[in-house]
Amino acid sequence: MSTMNNLDYRSNNAAIAKKKIAKVLQYVVAIIITIIVAFPIYWMLISSVKSQDEILLSIPTLWPREWHFENYVNVFAKANFGKYYINTIIMTAGILISEILTGILGAYGFSIGKFKGQNVLFLIVLGALMIPIQVTFIPIYIMFAKWGLTNTFLGLILPNTVSPYYIFMLRQTFLSVDNSYIEAARVDGMGRLGVIFKILVPMCKSTIVTITLVTFTTGWNSYFWPKIIAKDQPRVLTVGLAHLKNTFAGQATMNNHEIMAGAVMAVLPVIILFFIFQKYMLTGYSKAAMK
Amino acid sequence: MDADVIKQKPNKIKKRTYFTYAISSAKDFTCVLPALVLLAIFTYYPIVEVIRISFTDWNLINDSYKYVGFKNWEWLFAGSGTKYLLNSLKITALYSLGEIAITLGGGLLFALLFNQITKTFSVLRAVVFMPRYVAMSSAAVVFLWILNTDNGILNYFLGTLGLGKVDWLGNKSTALISVLILTGWRAIGYGMMIYLSAMLSIPKDYYEAAALDGANSFKRFWKITIPMLSPTTLFLLVTTFISSMKVFQSVDILTDGGPYRSTEVIVFMIYKYAMQDFRMDRASVVAVFFFIILLIVTALTMKVSKKSVNYDS
Repeated sequence: MSTMNNLDYRSNNAAIAKKKIAKVLQYVVAIIITIIVAFPIYWMLISSVKSQDEILLSIPTLWPREWHFENYVNVFAKANFGKYYINTIIMTAGILISEILTGILGAYGFSIGKFKGQNVLFLIVLGALMIPIQVTFIPIYIMFAKWGLTNTFLGLILPNTVSPYYIFMLRQTFLSVDNSYIEAARVDGMGRLGVIFKILVPMCKSTIVTITLVTFTTGWNSYFWPKIIAKDQPRVLTVGLAHLKNTFAGQATMNNHEIMAGAVMAVLPVIILFFIFQKYMLTGYSKAAMK
Repeated sequence: MDADVIKQKPNKIKKRTYFTYAISSAKDFTCVLPALVLLAIFTYYPIVEVIRISFTDWNLINDSYKYVGFKNWEWLFAGSGTKYLLNSLKITALYSLGEIAITLGGGLLFALLFNQITKTFSVLRAVVFMPRYVAMSSAAVVFLWILNTDNGILNYFLGTLGLGKVDWLGNKSTALISVLILTGWRAIGYGMMIYLSAMLSIPKDYYEAAALDGANSFKRFWKITIPMLSPTTLFLLVTTFISSMKVFQSVDILTDGGPYRSTEVIVFMIYKYAMQDFRMDRASVVAVFFFIILLIVTALTMKVSKKSVNYDS
């Protein structure tokens, strides 16, 4: 027994060394790749605090010589970023509120609720997933122009008031809730809204947080429709940022430090949310992968 | 009297239950009504409208319009629009292929590389995933700066390697690649995360059994990991394919469809006809054609998904 162990030990030694080298190599390659992937984010942050002279140097500096945090103030002062922020918040809030309400009610109706034609109507809701705004924006734009909704918040929000994805995901979760909870609440004399908002919503909190976060980021980052319906007023952050590049077009390189500051400001809310709700964000992605 | 009541009762109960059922189902229906009405106005009505507009000569400059039959369709398939359509289809297909290759191929390679359960690696993974949270508009202006011909850091790095300056966005041969670098940067960490979470769910005893049978690590990867990941691959393929066909924002900010239409993907083509030329008729006909392609792709992928490729019982 002991001799066998000794023999094993020798051949194992070589194998262990080989494994160690492989592991070190894996670390080195992984770290190099991570640095490359992280570099654009680093470059955005670093460029945003450089001075105009420093950003134009023919040999770029990897670390700023002086810190110019006033670039951030300039973006607000020169480019109206404060207004873009408020506009984006109003638009996203409108989208969120309506999508959450139609989403929760719709998910309830299509899961716990019972009515004739339920399955067909649910298929119609799902079918909307196959009709993107990139196809339907022409008639909507013409319709909104007729209604006087171009360049209004209502125009920004209205086409995004229902999310079939929200209804679909939440319906699945509502279906997994044990029916006895709902029956018990009904026996206690609870109405529909009571069942929805006092039983189902608290029980499915984590799913609701996850899909609401997805809804929030899609709304906050939306670009195509805002660019069409509200190119000038009320301009949201995404469109404003792209416009910043256009206004400085002739002298694009001159103002890149301020554009970078704007880019940082635009992503900051989402990044902060990501850190607060990290757990939910990642489960959200894996949940999407499971279906 | 008693007999009467007994006689009546079942009927009454039936009536009442039917009545309460009707009320209850009406209330349930009311819950889904807002969603249905809004979808009808802002999704289903417009899709009918866009088809109708494709048979008119509607442009926003004239106020009136008339029906012109298949004239716009002729323009698209056998007229001056054909070469632009073919160009857009080619570019969209190239772009889609690129994004799929990066998300799936790159994602899988990254998943294998970052597949270590240590603290260091979990930090590295989080960093690689980070670009996903940088909104496309911000990411696009950052890459606009990085890819800048005269002051961009990429050309500086290439310069230190002794290579000349590349006009990344102004050059027909590199513009689409630049767009793909941007999208790929945001997509690869996402692909990695999806693959990693799927890899974690593969039972360990499969590998142990294979190792006992003398299968080397490459064989184990090829015969166990790849097949077990097939549902995930299919999911990524379908979602990436459909979303990549709708690409617009990165193209709009980075290249504006140019140079010489070399990045004019199909959505950009629709956008240009509608919002720059105000040719609603031509924009609509391209939009309807695009919608048909989307439907075909969705139907095909659903068919493939049904015959799912999972070997797990």
